[in-house]
Amino acid sequence: MSKHVSTKKRTLLFVAFGWVLLILGDRVGDLELYQGSFVATYALAITSIILLTGYSGQLSLGQSALMAVGAYAGALTIFNAGLHPIIGLFMAALVAGIFGLILGLIAARLSGPYLAGTTLALAISLPTLANQFPILGAEEGIVFDVGLPPARFGEEFSQYKWFFWISCLASLIMVWFIANLLSTKYGRTFRALRDNPIAAELSGINVGRLKVVAFAISSGVTGLSGGLLVMLISGVSPSAFPLSLSFALLGGAVVTGLYNLKGVILGGLVLVAIPEIADSLVSRIGGSEGFITILPGFLVSALLILAVVFTPNGPGHLIKRHHKK
Amino acid sequence: MIRNKNMKRASLVSAVIATGAMVLSTLPAQAATPGVTASEIKLGISSPLTGSAGLSYGKVPGAMKAYFNYINANGGVYGRKINLISRDDKYLPTLAATQTTNLVLKDNVFALVGALGTATHSKAYKAAALAKNNVPDLFINTGFSGFTDKTKYPTTFMVLPTYAMEAKVMAKVIKDNFPGQASFLLAQDDEFGSDGVAGFKTAGHTFSATPILYPQGSMTAARAEGALSTLAAAAPGKPVLVLFGTTDVTATILKAAEKLELTKKFTFLAGSVGADANTLLALGVKSTTVDGIVSASFMPDAKDLTDPYVKQFSDINTKYNKGITFDNYVLAAMNSAMLTVQALRAAGKDLTRAGVISAIENKGAKFASAGLVPLGYSPTSRIGYNGYWVSQLNAKGEGKPYGGKLVVYSTDSGAGAVEVSTFVRPTMPKNGIPTNS
Amino acid sequence: MTQFITTVLTSLSSGAIYALMALALVLVWRSTRVINFAQAGQAVLTTYIGYTVIQRTGSYWLALVVAVISGAIIGAVIDRFFMRPIFKRIKSGPIVMIAPVVATLGLLGIIQAIIGFIWGLTNQSIEAPVSTGGYKVMGTIIAFSSYNLLVLVFVAIAMLLLTLLFQRTNIGLALRASAYSPEIARLSGVKVDAVRTLGWAIAGASGGLAGMLYIPGYFLYPNAMDLLLVFGFVAAVIGGLESLFGAVAGAMLLGFAINFSTTYISPKLFFPTAFIVLVLVLLIKPSGLFAAKKSRGA
Repeated sequence: MSKHVSTKKRTLLFVAFGWVLLILGDRVGDLELYQGSFVATYALAITSIILLTGYSGQLSLGQSALMAVGAYAGALTIFNAGLHPIIGLFMAALVAGIFGLILGLIAARLSGPYLAGTTLALAISLPTLANQFPILGAEEGIVFDVGLPPARFGEEFSQYKWFFWISCLASLIMVWFIANLLSTKYGRTFRALRDNPIAAELSGINVGRLKVVAFAISSGVTGLSGGLLVMLISGVSPSAFPLSLSFALLGGAVVTGLYNLKGVILGGLVLVAIPEIADSLVSRIGGSEGFITILPGFLVSALLILAVVFTPNGPGHLIKRHHKK
Repeated sequence: MIRNKNMKRASLVSAVIATGAMVLSTLPAQAATPGVTASEIKLGISSPLTGSAGLSYGKVPGAMKAYFNYINANGGVYGRKINLISRDDKYLPTLAATQTTNLVLKDNVFALVGALGTATHSKAYKAAALAKNNVPDLFINTGFSGFTDKTKYPTTFMVLPTYAMEAKVMAKVIKDNFPGQASFLLAQDDEFGSDGVAGFKTAGHTFSATPILYPQGSMTAARAEGALSTLAAAAPGKPVLVLFGTTDVTATILKAAEKLELTKKFTFLAGSVGADANTLLALGVKSTTVDGIVSASFMPDAKDLTDPYVKQFSDINTKYNKGITFDNYVLAAMNSAMLTVQALRAAGKDLTRAGVISAIENKGAKFASAGLVPLGYSPTSRIGYNGYWVSQLNAKGEGKPYGGKLVVYSTDSGAGAVEVSTFVRPTMPKNGIPTNS
Repeated sequence: MTQFITTVLTSLSSGAIYALMALALVLVWRSTRVINFAQAGQAVLTTYIGYTVIQRTGSYWLALVVAVISGAIIGAVIDRFFMRPIFKRIKSGPIVMIAPVVATLGLLGIIQAIIGFIWGLTNQSIEAPVSTGGYKVMGTIIAFSSYNLLVLVFVAIAMLLLTLLFQRTNIGLALRASAYSPEIARLSGVKVDAVRTLGWAIAGASGGLAGMLYIPGYFLYPNAMDLLLVFGFVAAVIGGLESLFGAVAGAMLLGFAINFSTTYISPKLFFPTAFIVLVLVLLIKPSGLFAAKKSRGA
């Protein structure tokens, strides 16, 4: 059984990490801050996947749709209702969470590929719906403006640093919350549910309800990451959440290990770094126009496959059980 | 505690790779004017190279580079060579935002040229803080009229006429040439289509049925057949069918018309975005179907080698863009490249960002280009081409002036009238090498 | 009335097309318990191979045969050298579900890159082997051509042949056993790995057929079947992943739903209809319309 880090210890760890990020933020340039913000955002999205798939065993391809829900909720809150950006982000999580609750009620009855198919259909449908209602701004979308950094931070405090602070803070708080959740009885219950639903049911766990709860919380987290994402691109539009985003996030989650929250930052890093590496490699190698165009996509896919093949096998306690035999 | 050895190893490797990538992307010290040295001017373009949008627009950066290489071989701009850095954004706003930011912060370009797409570019503009950094955003590849708003996009210059302008010209064409007939509209359900719908409205044109707005990617053969048979049954005579979509959709609709033998039932009026004859033929549309399609354009046809600009660009393409067929996309791209070179020249030897912006404002309207319609740049206007001429495609895929005589219309995106323009195109600089200042 | 007839006919054609992909996906699922997202890439790749054959010989039918055979070979190769090593490493837990999804997605990207590299990125087209003009019925041209009929016929034949294979032959039994209970199958002497490769080969062949039937009505480019993959998958799930007949039935239902809703209600319902139909079906029957029994949890 893995040693349980106490809540106090975990909080200290997160705070310490937060300080490290703060200091790091002062040392690097705008580009790194911008990339770092994406890392934090993707890490958060991957956290939701770990909760949903790694812990409650439900495979969803609908992250992009839930991010869209959160993003639009947040944008509407800030732009149309004129409320403070923090409320916007909060609404992103809340609305997506409620949406996830409803979705979870449907999902709880489905398994494996059936759930995957449903969430897939959702992912391709939701962006179209955004075009339906004029209030959602059609293709140009709605502006998602978190405003300029507060004046008291001085002239040198760039917009990118502000993004970095917001995304890191939001992600840290959420990941801390989820980590705490998973270290409690809830976490063990989730794992029991995932590994052996029948046994779990027999020992009195309400499997259906638990799955719904997982879906709702996970969706809230995804919605928040959607809000952060559109903060970084200063606006939400239907084309910001294609199906390929769901796939990319899933890939990131697999690369870093589905069963453990520790890898999420690496997952985010990988999602940002790998396309960058592909681009730099290609510009170094050069070649015909066609070659240069295709190569980055090829490299990204190849690295993804390698990651899946070499990614660890199973959760720690299954190995333990193996040894016990 | 990371117990599993494999996981530890994978994590370590990932961390090393990721950190390495971050380090790789650190910038060197900045020059006074970013992207300009004594020997080089760096320009950047973020556009779709792969994915479905890449099919039509993937040729743009390569074509621009070909023209720039030609200029570089002939002295460059006051001795500076133009280096165009191209990044693939797959037509996704998130990618456009990051790629444009990369171009500005990492590649340190002097200016952006030819940015593509409305949703993509509007996000990229803000994300890369182009306004704040005063990065010139030249000759963008989209017709969405929102980009002419100087308060929102202070450094942006359009080049394509707006979709609203095109719709207004089309409305006039229908009114003048098909007065008694019914008319229908099939448009893509996004800013492109809705800009068009708005344009028809401002021009006072009402369609015989509510315009059919289809989500991108949903116009399948089945849908096209359904739409066409409904419309054909709805109107007697020979109604006008306006198609405001991309070329692959136009092809799908035309092929459906072939299947239902409705090709002669309608007069097809295809918007410039979706009327590239070469592509239509390559996608399997019969030449007899293409024959007679009415379209609008602001450039000469890429097959018209009697036009000096077309001939010159075609020659450059053969020499500097090997393996790529010369078509309307290549023509338009090289045309923008030529405008860019003139803009850079007009800004003077002491090249600054503010300088190039004011150069286009003050001198841009007089730049030489292949366009058969006037350029609308001025200190108060960021509009590029502000008109269209009406063309008709023939079985060979050539676009000839509708009615035999070239008539150029000029208008605005608002309620202004559509007027016949007396515009005379500036003579092409010798060998296609601008010498303006 | 004409609109109704046209919509019925176009629904049949759409349904047939979705069925092509759904069949291939159900085949892979029934024989290997994997959702193969690379199917879209494999099918397009074999179609490009077919395209090259047409360029050289001018014969569509020869190209079709070549596409089907190369589809089988490619499918087998993918299983043997790609999926098998993955399955050796990943044994249990939700990762069993998700790893193949991610792996086949990566594979899809690689295949599309390879296609772009070999054949370039521009649109191509393949001419249909039979007329695409609508039949003339009682004086009017209807929205149904010889080509549409051809696709329907092929779908029906494929479905029947494959169902026979699965239900009536020893190989079919071995395929189902290996997918459902590999350990027991192995104990019974079935060479599970080889059988699985065979399953992928059959699915690949079916994908090859799908591509060559789909593309002539559309265009050929690396991402040409991406959307079809999504709709094919939804159709397969609607029908219940356990039966080939279900795949076709689900595809038909989807085709009808989408065409009717977009024609009579709004063109904007194209994508949402897929979701709505799927949810409605699964609310009534969580394992799809024609699943024989309640499907086990993954």
